[in-house]
Amino acid sequence: MVDAQSVRRGIAAGLACEHVEVAGDGRHFEALVVSREFEGLSRVRRHQRVYAALGERMREEIHALSMRTLTPEEWRAGG
Amino acid sequence: MNVLDVIKKQVGSHPVVLYMKGTPDFPQCGFSAASVQILQACGVKDLFSVNVLEDPAIRQGIKEYANWPTIPQLYVNGEFVGGSDIMREMYQSGELQKLLDAAGTTQTA
Repeated sequence: MVDAQSVRRGIAAGLACEHVEVAGDGRHFEALVVSREFEGLSRVRRHQRVYAALGERMREEIHALSMRTLTPEEWRAGG
Repeated sequence: MNVLDVIKKQVGSHPVVLYMKGTPDFPQCGFSAASVQILQACGVKDLFSVNVLEDPAIRQGIKEYANWPTIPQLYVNGEFVGGSDIMREMYQSGELQKLLDAAGTTQTA
């Protein structure tokens, strides 16, 4: 069983984040990820960045990760 | 033909392709079900769907094809658009409707 905190740590370890929140039930997770690295990236590229941060765990342990990916400006604007 | 070529041919020969778990009539995952509903709400005609549960090679191959580890995946005119979250965000903002209309894939009113 994967806990939401370990998913949160995985994202934060692989991506410079201003803010990360993860909630989940062990298989399905929901994340809010705020990072300056998302600036200028499409939604697809942003999600790929988070998937890359999680690496193999995304294939093996995490069934579904629903996410919102925002830049700090978008987040402050209430994104 | 290897599996990536099969996928390339599928997304290149149908304007709207959804890789999903189950079928539009019997989706077997909530995210796939939501994606079908969104496309139907946009008035997509001739949705070509691929049930990855029936084809393990496609199920693995599609993750490599778009460098995207999850299913569903939506392709419009051969281009990867996104997964379930991105479809929902683009639907809510109206971008998905515009994209599908521009691609000539929706019913004309």
